[in-house]
Amino acid sequence: MSLRSLNSRSGHLLRIASFIVACIAVIYGANGSIAAEPDAFTKSVAPILQSRCVSCHNSVDRKGAFSLQKRDEVLDSGFVEPGQPDDSELLKVLVSHNGKKPAMPKSGEPLKDAEVAAIRDWIKSGAKWPDGFTIKEPVVDNADWWSFKPMKKPDVSRLSSQIANQKSPIKNPIDAFVLKTLAEQKLTPSKPADPRVLIRRLYFDLIGLSPTPEEVEAFVKESQQEPAGATQSAYERLVDRLLASQHYGERWARHWLDVVKYADTCGYDKDKLRPNAWPYRDYVIKSFNDDKPYARFIQEQLAGDVFFPGTADGILGLGFIAAGPWDWIGHAEVPESKIDGKVARHTDRDEMVSNTLNTFCSVTIQCAQCHNHKFDPFTQEHYYNLQSVFAAVDRAERTYDLDPQIEKQRLQLADQLKAARVALTTLNAAIQKEGGPELVALEKQIAELQPKASPAAKRPEFGYHSGIAPKQDVEKWVQIDLGREVDISKIVLRPCHDEFNNIGAGFGFPVRFKVSGGLSAAELSATDLSPTAPKLLHDATQKDVPNPGLVPYEVAVAKTKSRLIRITAAKLAPRQNDFILALAELQVLDAEGNNVALKSAVTSLDSIEAPDRWRKSNLTDGIWASAGDEAAIKQLAEARKQRQAILDRITTAERTAERERLNKEIATSENQLTALPSGKLVYAAATHFAPIAAFNPTNGKPRAIHLLHRGNVTQPLAPSVPGTLPIALSSDSDLSPAGHFNLKPDHTEGDRRAALAQWITRPDHPLTWRSIVNRVWQHHFGRGLVETPNDFGRMGKLPTHPELLDWLAIEFRDNGQSIKKLHKLIVTSATYQQSSAHEAANSTIDSDNRFLWRMNRRRLEAEEIRDAMLAVSGKLDPKMGGPGYYLFVLERPEHSPHYEYHKFNPDDAASHRRSIYRFIVRSQPDPYMTTLDCADSSQSTPQRNETLTSLQALSLLNNGFSLTMSKHFASKLTTESSSPPEQIARAFNRISGRSPTEAELTDLTAYAQKYGLANLCRVLFNLSEFVYVD
Amino acid sequence: MTNRRDFLSQSAHGFGALALASMLQADGVAAAEANDVGSGAVLKTLHRPAKAKRIVQLFMSGAASHLDLWDYKPALEKHHGEASNFGEHVEAFQNGLGPWMKSPFKFKGYGQSGKMLSDVVAPLGEVADEMAFIHNVVGKTGVHSQATFLQATGFQNPGFPGMGAWISYGLGSMNDNLPTFVVLPDHRGYPSNGPKNWSSAFLPASTQGTTIFPQRDIPIEDLLPKSDFVTGDSDRDGLALLSRLNRGFEQQRPGDSRLDARIKTYELAAKMQLSAPEALDLSKEPDHILKMYGLETAGKTYGSEINVPEEAEYFGRKCLIARRLLERGVRYVQIWSGNDNSFPRRNWDSHEDVERDHGPLANGMAIGAAGLIKDLKQRGLLEDTIILWTTEFGRMPSTQGSKGRDHNPYVFSNWLCGGGIKPGVTHGPSDQWGYKPLDRDNPTQVYDIHATMLHLMGIDHTKLTFLSNGIDRRLTDVHGHVIEDLLA
Repeated sequence: MSLRSLNSRSGHLLRIASFIVACIAVIYGANGSIAAEPDAFTKSVAPILQSRCVSCHNSVDRKGAFSLQKRDEVLDSGFVEPGQPDDSELLKVLVSHNGKKPAMPKSGEPLKDAEVAAIRDWIKSGAKWPDGFTIKEPVVDNADWWSFKPMKKPDVSRLSSQIANQKSPIKNPIDAFVLKTLAEQKLTPSKPADPRVLIRRLYFDLIGLSPTPEEVEAFVKESQQEPAGATQSAYERLVDRLLASQHYGERWARHWLDVVKYADTCGYDKDKLRPNAWPYRDYVIKSFNDDKPYARFIQEQLAGDVFFPGTADGILGLGFIAAGPWDWIGHAEVPESKIDGKVARHTDRDEMVSNTLNTFCSVTIQCAQCHNHKFDPFTQEHYYNLQSVFAAVDRAERTYDLDPQIEKQRLQLADQLKAARVALTTLNAAIQKEGGPELVALEKQIAELQPKASPAAKRPEFGYHSGIAPKQDVEKWVQIDLGREVDISKIVLRPCHDEFNNIGAGFGFPVRFKVSGGLSAAELSATDLSPTAPKLLHDATQKDVPNPGLVPYEVAVAKTKSRLIRITAAKLAPRQNDFILALAELQVLDAEGNNVALKSAVTSLDSIEAPDRWRKSNLTDGIWASAGDEAAIKQLAEARKQRQAILDRITTAERTAERERLNKEIATSENQLTALPSGKLVYAAATHFAPIAAFNPTNGKPRAIHLLHRGNVTQPLAPSVPGTLPIALSSDSDLSPAGHFNLKPDHTEGDRRAALAQWITRPDHPLTWRSIVNRVWQHHFGRGLVETPNDFGRMGKLPTHPELLDWLAIEFRDNGQSIKKLHKLIVTSATYQQSSAHEAANSTIDSDNRFLWRMNRRRLEAEEIRDAMLAVSGKLDPKMGGPGYYLFVLERPEHSPHYEYHKFNPDDAASHRRSIYRFIVRSQPDPYMTTLDCADSSQSTPQRNETLTSLQALSLLNNGFSLTMSKHFASKLTTESSSPPEQIARAFNRISGRSPTEAELTDLTAYAQKYGLANLCRVLFNLSEFVYVD
Repeated sequence: MTNRRDFLSQSAHGFGALALASMLQADGVAAAEANDVGSGAVLKTLHRPAKAKRIVQLFMSGAASHLDLWDYKPALEKHHGEASNFGEHVEAFQNGLGPWMKSPFKFKGYGQSGKMLSDVVAPLGEVADEMAFIHNVVGKTGVHSQATFLQATGFQNPGFPGMGAWISYGLGSMNDNLPTFVVLPDHRGYPSNGPKNWSSAFLPASTQGTTIFPQRDIPIEDLLPKSDFVTGDSDRDGLALLSRLNRGFEQQRPGDSRLDARIKTYELAAKMQLSAPEALDLSKEPDHILKMYGLETAGKTYGSEINVPEEAEYFGRKCLIARRLLERGVRYVQIWSGNDNSFPRRNWDSHEDVERDHGPLANGMAIGAAGLIKDLKQRGLLEDTIILWTTEFGRMPSTQGSKGRDHNPYVFSNWLCGGGIKPGVTHGPSDQWGYKPLDRDNPTQVYDIHATMLHLMGIDHTKLTFLSNGIDRRLTDVHGHVIEDLLA
């Protein structure tokens, strides 16, 4: 059972219910005249229709073919007979007949009698509806809520004097706030915790690892010998040392990654790998270790490319926007023009918007994609304005950490390439112009014929597909063995059809090639100069062959004996920034015209074997994409031939030479560009990237975002403009009164993200600073000052210590936005250093410890347990950063990767690193870590659950990792001491931070003697004293 | 709270299964006791008297064709081969708008209801009068992943609990030695989205589906230690030592109930180690029961082509295990047919050839499902066990290629059975082609199916909620109506 879920609901519903009554207002029509003359309708009928009817019966949905939003709609519907309530259908459906539930409203309780009576009276008195009055969907227009108000810095000195008479220690202002509340609640603080407890608490909290017995003893000794009033205590020195440790970032980055949904795969169907997500993870670790000012941390993650161009962190931070799940099929297999493609992209932006607002501002906005927010003053307009901030970005790989010299070269080459391409286009246009109307007509005819020439029936067996080459002039061959010498008369090459990259007919058909024959493999492989040179049966290497579409390419052969037939491509077919050779079928006709190649053995230089579509044997399987419209195919081929003839005629020698020169220049520039070191890659928000099938970059052009009725992509309403929520709007020229960003008409997409980042990091933002200090507080105490860290809205909890929250937020904001300083402030408070022991009197008043009369005991998180097990076993490799290590065996990564955890060997040393570096699979999370409540990367997890289940017990007892580490722990102990009692005492100390009592030692020793140290270590890993921190 | 019926079912290893069934039948108060919630339930009392207390969900991954199994369309037979005309622009997922295509399978009427079923699901004909069909279910997209999420969790995107997790959360456990929510994936691989379909998401981890792979050495992850140093004795004595030490730790820290609860989880784990292998052991099932589930050739090796006996064995084994789990107090069993989208096809995504894939898959499924229905009925368990058959969407009435069908998210079929569902009815017809619902304004959505099932389990679907990141989440989002026509 979750211990967190039980305590969070009390009082909630009541508060919300009374709130709704208080502040949902009927929105008046544009003329506003109604407010002046309230009548029975606007006062008592319209609110009912608004809250119970128009969500279905509105002008857009028109459920049951009618709307209740406007007067004409109501009167035209025939459902209301003015003056005659009993004849009005509207009233009939609202009341019960024969004891059955009224037909309407379809959802929720029936209308109350008084509500029905109000509607009856209104109809009876003529169903009057004021001019221009429209019933709009409910909107919350009341922004009177604690978290939307400016922060106020409390007077700490006055506070301290108020509680000066108390005996309790005040180490810093935090204690003053906490003691004040404790006194108000008649609670008393607990005594300070023992140094032995404190050091273990501090180690796990700050670096996620346990102290060694030596570190514990040294600290205990230092603390005891401390002279009173020392300027810096042993405790403070310990805090500083831990905050300076690189392990600190490894612990605290994990909290951040939980919130932003970081994982190393995409999620959804296929769950493809993201091999370059990890640089963002490392960036977060480094940002924590560097104690990066928080505003900069935010700005880098939303618009680092705009704010800090040329820096690696400016790009790496954008991994934030791309951290969450992404639907590969919905983007790559379905184009944006289709409904499913639109849904995928809408969902993707929704994820970006909610990730941003939940993470940085602790408000929920995602529900406003279908309707106005039910509790907070956020409308659908606000939501879609936020979507338009992300309208141009997708999730893809982009380069970072580039050498400036190389970048300069890259720009130069790109310029040259662009110039050459422009010149080529100009040249082609000139040629085209010379071709006159005849050429134009042919082009038109070709365009019209192309769709008709697509295949009628297409089998999944597409054909043979060579390996992919980066350059077009790479030679590739495929050959068949007829099994015997045959007198051949004709060879037929059948082209493929594949929609990939919109290529379709003629996919992979070589641009230049030759056909050769021979009697033996040796003969075919011989060079042209050798005496046994193969017979050249057909040479198409001197001139480009126009793409044949689906028309078979036939080669008549003068009576030739041959056993082997080879197709050698000299110039490959373009695919997508790369080149291939593909053929559907190779037919060889003998003298009688029979195809003797069917089922012949196929060999090739290389091949992509991806059955059923692609495999060598498909070349002779008798299957190819046949033409839908044979006539159209022939016409198409003919038209192409004519076009080629015209082009040949009008292309002068100079032009040919010029074209060849330009083509060469383009090829050279392209090659040089590819050869440049391309920097490193990070999976991040991107506008420019290589397309993957239907997934194309926007190249920085924002998509048009519309407000979507009910979030439905097929019902776009008004266009949206980049903007944000209507809070913190005071005296700011960057925002219009409606919350639109004041952007220039020619602004870039990056300006939109920058404007949002600018708004979030405003010093007077009421949410941002409270949000982060609350998160940090929560990870120290187990509960935030606001218990709902992602929601400071009306559905969230109220702060337990509002003044403390504001004081911390302002301190943090005004003192360098240093998270490390904030930690130090918190952990050096007396409040944090209290004992976690139970106290009956306090517990009766505040059993949940909401007011912090003691420290909270907590169970270690999944990563802490795993890392501590590695550390005590002497197996923890402290190497930082880099690609995630696998805790599974990866199978079939080329299609739908299978992540086989049960096949993994836990003794694999590559996996003996801190858990933050593991490769996180979104759809198939690690079962061991999941059982220990690690975050689900499909959703924002601001706070881990802390569950206790029998599956957890089984995992800690029996998982291969636990068993393997038990053995390593045992063998480490034997190297550290040769005396069994010492080994056992040391093992216990390493696990718990204290020596065993005599009774415990006797019990442990008896077990170890009987079953060995490894069995003992297995038991120790399961101790409550190991997995709990006092 | 353990009531007598649950006590009996938990003690089932000591009894012959038939003895248990007869004792349960003799138990006249069973229905009244069904109002109880289990241990760890978030609901203190049910919202309404429950008709059912267990669920089996059969999920056909890849999108099973309604037109070739249970939604008989004479119009397709009449117009087979004619150019398809939907009367409107249709957005196909791929290019499946070829001519109308009749089912490659023959249809026949079954039972008193005369329900038309295709030959490949003929084994279900015998129990057709127990089943309630819904032919106007609509989805939201033709993308497998999103559509699978929608049917499994009620939301199109990841991050939401599976239906079984909601049930575990609301109603708790009826046993103390097995998980509450068990998932039996296709042994050849996971469906789209993998375990995210049955995760606990924001609900407590204890509500997540526990996957069982009966064919593996250790069918439940970490159930037993696989090592060269842990023996039965070291395990037993180790647990005793652990319990003593943890008890000492707990006693020095009064007022923290977690520490006691943690000791109990180890006791439960030990019980599960004993009970799970027993629950999965089919060796004592009599031949006539094995035959009922299509397991008479179990253990045989099969050819590389997809075939009926092999599919029947795989699906039937899961169905029989499901029955054994239900008897032992598991509340929710989810059985998957079809792995992810790969070649050769071992799922229902018949773009190329309906007959080739649907034939063996459907026949195998129908044998196991019919066995399960009959077996539950003869044991008196069908009356309070709901069976739901579902898939992510349907398939088009037009041809893709020459023998395949493209995705049809615009209409598809579900069927329900047992547990307070009205038997022998067909609800909500599709149009003459099986392209969209006949009444397009009033389709059935997954929310309605879920709302109806929760209703039968004693839960008001609008009231089982969990506050996650500021939103009161529920299985049916903001939708869902109980389908009154389907209530017995």
